[in-house]
Amino acid sequence: MIQTKCRKSREMAKAKFFIALFVPLFFLAILVSTGLSAPKKVSTAKPGDCAACHESKRVLPPDHPDTKQMGLSACSPCHQKMGESSLRTKMPVSHTHNLAGVTCEKCHGKAQKRQAVEMAKCITCHNPAKLVEKTAKIKPENPHTSPHYGDSLDCNLCHHQHEKSENYCNQCHQFNFNVP
Amino acid sequence: MKKNNGKEKKAKLEQKTEHGSVSRRGFLKTGLGLGALATASGLALNLTKKGAHAAQFKPMPKKWDETYDVVVIGSGFAGLSAAIEAKNAGAKVTVIEKMPVHGGNSIINGGDFCAPDTKLQKAAGVKDSPVLMYADMMKAGQYLNHPELARIVANQSRDALEWSESYVGAQFTRLNYHGGHSVKRANQTINASGSELVNKMFAKIKELGVNVQTRTKLVSFITNKDGRIVGIEVLKGYRFPDEKSGKVAYIKAARAVVLTSGGFSRDLALRQVEDPRLTDKFESTNQPGATGEALLAACMAGAMNVQMDWIQLGPWTSPDEKGFGHVPLFCERLVGYGPMIDPKTGKRFFKETGNRKERADAIILLGHPVIILGDSYAVPKQVFPNALQKGIEAGAIKKFNTLEDLAKNYDIPVDAFRQEMARWNSFVEKKKDDDFDCMIFPDAKPTVTGPFYAARLWPKVHHTMGGLVIDKNAQVIGFDFKPVKGLYAAGEVTGGVHGAVRLGGVAMADCIVFGRIAGQNAAKEKAWG
Ligand SMILES: Cc1cc2nc3c(=O)[nH]c(=O)nc-3n(C[C@H](O)[C@H](O)[C@H](O)COP(=O)(O)OP(=O)(O)OC[C@H]3O[C@@H](n4cnc5c(N)ncnc54)[C@H](O)[C@@H]3O)c2cc1C
Repeated sequence: MIQTKCRKSREMAKAKFFIALFVPLFFLAILVSTGLSAPKKVSTAKPGDCAACHESKRVLPPDHPDTKQMGLSACSPCHQKMGESSLRTKMPVSHTHNLAGVTCEKCHGKAQKRQAVEMAKCITCHNPAKLVEKTAKIKPENPHTSPHYGDSLDCNLCHHQHEKSENYCNQCHQFNFNVP
Repeated sequence: MKKNNGKEKKAKLEQKTEHGSVSRRGFLKTGLGLGALATASGLALNLTKKGAHAAQFKPMPKKWDETYDVVVIGSGFAGLSAAIEAKNAGAKVTVIEKMPVHGGNSIINGGDFCAPDTKLQKAAGVKDSPVLMYADMMKAGQYLNHPELARIVANQSRDALEWSESYVGAQFTRLNYHGGHSVKRANQTINASGSELVNKMFAKIKELGVNVQTRTKLVSFITNKDGRIVGIEVLKGYRFPDEKSGKVAYIKAARAVVLTSGGFSRDLALRQVEDPRLTDKFESTNQPGATGEALLAACMAGAMNVQMDWIQLGPWTSPDEKGFGHVPLFCERLVGYGPMIDPKTGKRFFKETGNRKERADAIILLGHPVIILGDSYAVPKQVFPNALQKGIEAGAIKKFNTLEDLAKNYDIPVDAFRQEMARWNSFVEKKKDDDFDCMIFPDAKPTVTGPFYAARLWPKVHHTMGGLVIDKNAQVIGFDFKPVKGLYAAGEVTGGVHGAVRLGGVAMADCIVFGRIAGQNAAKEKAWG
């Protein structure tokens, strides 16, 4: 009994040693590999040309048709606006923007060093009052207006362009919004 | 709730030091003070806050990046009123705010502003006076309130309310009652939210030409060799809560800095130093940026703090929804009509109409969430339909056909519960509670009519009464009992006005009254250079 216990604890110590050694190595490996494959932001890339930025990293399902020549309208027969097949949360919004013809320059301008885009830019196309109307029926609350900030909240608090969007309201609330 | 802080106070008082050398010495000594405090309360807390950017003493920078007369930290009620007043007194002003949005807790608050002798009170035939409001504040505060400060709030709150209406343009349209007040004196904004006032103030300062710099976090105060606050170090482009974000910049305050950074209800490390029970088991009703680093930075620059362990929990919040939520509006309307039950025993455990503090303490003592319930007579009569609907949709309020179903859902021993309900109903019949002396309202009826509605209750951290010591001019007082030159403070970051318990609706009064005083006096300071 005691012996088995001893053996067990020795084995455990060994296991712990390996875990201690390899787990950090494993994460390091992930870090390095993701670091290396962080997508480039090639402004001249055709919107459907994934490899131009993502290089050899596979970003679409294996059986997905080639997208190189596609614009947003070519996506729509398969990807409905809403529901399961929707593109809304499948990729960062900059991609749908780009597919729809809103190129990098259209938001960032021509400057060599790209600056973060101000909300003033967003509202040249997306009128806040119209957005409020458009989403009036969303439950449990209209995401585009609130008793606190009205329709003045910065778009970018939820709708990130180059990373996954988030639900800013959920810092204090529990609203199950599908944020594009 | 209150623990003896004798040793802590002593440790703080022993830090009395000649002000000329605030600075490094003050910093070291405050560090020691915290250590002494931890020992005094027998804690083995890890005081290193993960990821937090501890504010520290900083020497004069070689170059200032921006220069103003008055620099205001925080964009809630207190900060915006200070900024308006300082600007109107002729100062060049900026407001910095660490979050991406303005407004702090002020913009998510319930819009109840207590003041005596108001138009709404007169219209409702309510007789009130500053003397009565002062008496209510002191009684609730267990007479720990600094009397001079409490009196200023009671005396000047009507003026502050009228300024908010006539100068700022906010509308107050409803008169409400809050527990602990002798009369109805909460004047509520037209949209039942502090946003009505914050956003109108925000528009006002824009109109006056004051900029609000969001994503700009105060890191430390800068003191010159005379011990005067001369400016601040900030992080610009700060992305809460990423402490590695942002770029360092130095902002000069030629006349004064006004600290209005709010309370620290969401600062887990600091609130556990003050009240070790307040672990992560307790959520908060506050915005995520309600943390104490700015308050501590002021202490490191020589400011004295007071009554920090008086931290108010709301006993009416639910663990089944986030933040403030809908259950408070369900619970507060049902007390005096339906019982509060401990699900472990099936029995009542406390006076339902007790004050915030007594009730929160009773629930915490049990150590698990309790149940509040009402029947189909009380609930539709008492609870605002929208709150009920939203609470049900959120899953925080539940509906049951029978009391047995209700008991089963919450794992309540059915027989004990049935007996307790019969006992409660007998008290309601005779309008007298023999067990806990709950106030039973004249129109209350026994809880017998299905369907029944219930919600779980678990307190959330709501308000921090303690904070920086200020005098009647909103000037911050140091550990040497002298004003910290160049530093003013107002609002929830200060301590003393409310003593042990902040009454509902008095935070707004406090913030506007002292915010204005701070702004006026900051602008009057003689410029140092
Ligand atoms: C849900 C809720 C409802 C309430 N309802 C009422 C009510 O009806 N009536 C009432 O009287 N009271 C109410 N209160 C309390 C009241 O709202 C607050 O006490 C009050 O808003 C505090 O105002 P303030 O200006 O002191 O701080 P806040 O409004 O909190 O503003 C402080 C600001 O400073 C910022 N800040 C903090 N640290 C830094 C830093 N290091 N650098 C830069 N900026 C910083 C914060 O992000 C915040 O925006 C309520 C509170 C809550 C949470």
